[in-house]
Amino acid sequence: MNHTTRKWSLRVLVIVYLGLLVGLPVAFLFIKTFSHGFAAFWNEVTKPDAIAALKLSGIVALIAVPVNTVVGVAAALLLARKDHWSARLVTTLFDVPVAVSPIIIGVSLVLAYSRIGWFGTALAAHGISILFSPVGITMATMAVSLPYVLRSVLPVLMEIGNEQQNAALTLGAGRLRIFWQITLPAIRWGVLYGVTLTIARTLGEFGAVLIVSGNITGHTQTLPIYIYDSWEQNYDVIGAFAGALVLASISVVALLILSALRSKERRLHVDIA
Amino acid sequence: MSISLSHLTKRYGDHVVVDDVSVEIPSGSLTAVLGPSGSGKSTLLKLISGLERLDEGRVVIEGDDVTSVDPRHRDIGFCFQHYAPFRHMTVAKNIGFGLRVRKQPKDQIAAKVDELLELVKLPHKADAYPAQLSGGERQRMALARALAIEPRVLLLDEPFGALDAIVRTELREWVKELHHQIKVTTILVTHDQEEAMDMADQLLIMHDGRIEQSGEPNDLYDNPATTFVHDFLGPTTSFKDVTVRPHDLELLRAGEGSIEGTVLSVTSLGFEVQVVVQLSDGSSPWVQLSRNEFRALHVGVGSAISIRQRG
Amino acid sequence: MVSLANNDARDLDVPPAPRGRRYSRARATSLATSFVGGSLVVTYLSLIVLIPIAALVAHGLSITVQTNGWGFAFWHWDVHADLSAFWSSITQAPALHAIFLSLWLSFAVAAINAVMGVAIAWVLVRDRFPGKGVIDAFIDLPFALPTIVVGVVLLVLYGTTSPLHVDLFETWMGLMLALLFVTLPFSVRAVQPVLASLDGEAEAAAKSLGAGGIRTFAWVVLPSLWPAVLGGFGLAFARAIGEFGSISLIAGGIGRTTTASSFIYNLTQAFLWTDAAAVSTALLILALIVLITTNLVARQIQRRLSSS
Repeated sequence: MNHTTRKWSLRVLVIVYLGLLVGLPVAFLFIKTFSHGFAAFWNEVTKPDAIAALKLSGIVALIAVPVNTVVGVAAALLLARKDHWSARLVTTLFDVPVAVSPIIIGVSLVLAYSRIGWFGTALAAHGISILFSPVGITMATMAVSLPYVLRSVLPVLMEIGNEQQNAALTLGAGRLRIFWQITLPAIRWGVLYGVTLTIARTLGEFGAVLIVSGNITGHTQTLPIYIYDSWEQNYDVIGAFAGALVLASISVVALLILSALRSKERRLHVDIA
Repeated sequence: MSISLSHLTKRYGDHVVVDDVSVEIPSGSLTAVLGPSGSGKSTLLKLISGLERLDEGRVVIEGDDVTSVDPRHRDIGFCFQHYAPFRHMTVAKNIGFGLRVRKQPKDQIAAKVDELLELVKLPHKADAYPAQLSGGERQRMALARALAIEPRVLLLDEPFGALDAIVRTELREWVKELHHQIKVTTILVTHDQEEAMDMADQLLIMHDGRIEQSGEPNDLYDNPATTFVHDFLGPTTSFKDVTVRPHDLELLRAGEGSIEGTVLSVTSLGFEVQVVVQLSDGSSPWVQLSRNEFRALHVGVGSAISIRQRG
Repeated sequence: MVSLANNDARDLDVPPAPRGRRYSRARATSLATSFVGGSLVVTYLSLIVLIPIAALVAHGLSITVQTNGWGFAFWHWDVHADLSAFWSSITQAPALHAIFLSLWLSFAVAAINAVMGVAIAWVLVRDRFPGKGVIDAFIDLPFALPTIVVGVVLLVLYGTTSPLHVDLFETWMGLMLALLFVTLPFSVRAVQPVLASLDGEAEAAAKSLGAGGIRTFAWVVLPSLWPAVLGGFGLAFARAIGEFGSISLIAGGIGRTTTASSFIYNLTQAFLWTDAAAVSTALLILALIVLITTNLVARQIQRRLSSS
């Protein structure tokens, strides 16, 4: 087999694989959603339960994303130049939610904070309930989207090293100024990348939320749960697909942003030695 | 006014990186700290700047004991080997950083930045980003940034190390001239012996954390106090069991010198010619001479020659 | 050693710096900030990860603690784990079946995508054709798409009412398609940057010595890719084992196609929380073993590569 044949056969193999595995389902999503026309799609998307689900997803994201961003950046700053075993332990702990099934995350949260778990009764005494409530959903979402900001900021911090901060020090800058004017701008693309990943993960989380939320229509349903419900309970294909398309579109936008960020990052890294 | 370093010591665990260094740096001079990697010279610079903390000793800058002072307040300018540019700021913003920290009025800062841009010959790059500059331009920007705050001392940590040979020589000349114009006390760290000899008013040779010798460059070259200094500052070769400079050996026709031999190899490096000879006592030193001198001898590989030590 | 003498007497006249400019103050503020920041991070981590995982393992291994009347003096506590309860939970037939199904499915999927990942990365890095950028962005799609979206789409596309006239509902093939979909990005992105960083010099050298394309790839390129391929395998495997949303629908009801995650979910729906915890703990331990093993092996290979 000569070089050109090999090149072409590899190309074809890859394109066919990707086309069938990824392209086909994505195309099908679009086709099926609009198979009954745009009006039907719009009807589904504007149903009150769907809107409620979208709202809950939005609120959860509004809490989970900033919290995980702040924690991620803070942890990255603290861990950046520590070689101690405790630093590696903390980084590993951050990775646990990603290495483990979201179902397991959901179960562990229930066993820690719900009435059948460790602290449930104590919390209930103060009126806090984890199971069947937005609080639990938020906690589950925070858990599964935990490490993305840390993982994208930490390598950037390690790469830029200490020199810019040292230079700023010698020029008279205090720690606060160095943080705001030197450190943060230097990591901003890493932060943005991590935040985008976190948003995508937050909006799309299913397994952990399913366990923790109790799936009560209109009250404790996030958009993914709503999609699941539409199918499982009502066999409502268009409804499920409509919701799926909305979610998918948000994710695709996130993906495009990530792509743009990655190429920008590549450009930034190529020119500075 | 000057800089006094007394008994500076820095340890990393058991390893003593800077060992009881005491030096006087005269005001307005350019002092070069020269030494091999691991000699502690960069650490010494960091200790003077405050970026590293002393274990023992005192640093006094122009009458101020700054030993326990944060680097922010020491009024020093520091240039790094890889320039440490603030990548997300323009050249003008980089240079003006220290002035903004000192809360100077905007128009004053702008004027000063323009002045410095002219000084470092980068006026057309004011709004460019460091990524768009060449290595030499980045280092000039770094110098402008350090000088903007009118520091009492300028510290340069291997500033030309990351540049290619031609740019390095150009920048070296340029810094020398700059130092003539702005007489700020400057301490330059380098491992390049030629650079140090060229630029320094005062030369400090560092080895294993200690200062082996200090003084004027030519003085150190001609009168090295230790073997290390002698071997480090210039080329050496062995003649009659004594270490000498290759250019202190004279290459003569057979019979004219003090010891006979034959030519083993001839390396022509433009103006300079290096000739390795095999002597009758078994040793094979090399001789450094000018092209014209070599040609006048009319010898080549295998020719019979003789050697004499000059002066 | 000659060094210039220092006039110590002169230095004694110099007063020390005022308090505000000292290291000690800057250091104190920086330490305080680190302490506060660190505490916040640790507290958050504990609440969100440590405590729940601890609760999970405690319930899974049926750990009981007797405080022996000393209250908070935990060095006097009597900790006891009922491993036989744990063991019987996970060795029930349906549990074992689910666990083994997840294991071999994940292994197969990670292996397939390891191979395809290298092929795709190769085309993305080395090849050049219009639309390549689109394909590059495409790779991240499975990562960005919510798992339930994948589940619903794959079910309707390949399930009982499939327009393609296939029925992969409640089949291993259906599960595999879903898992291949969601683990694809891990396999590709693990290998891509490493491949991109190879400058082709070693390959050129091999070719000049007479090695053909395939041999060059096998003997020169592949060895440097191994750590990345293994890393990608580990990530894909871990993701596949834990996957739920995309396979829960096409897996259908309780039966041959119930993976470990679905099994645990079914247990929670039946309020069998201790069993759920037990199987979860087993999976947790498995995931840890796989991650540590792949990391170690990857590091070993990396070490051999960089020292050679």
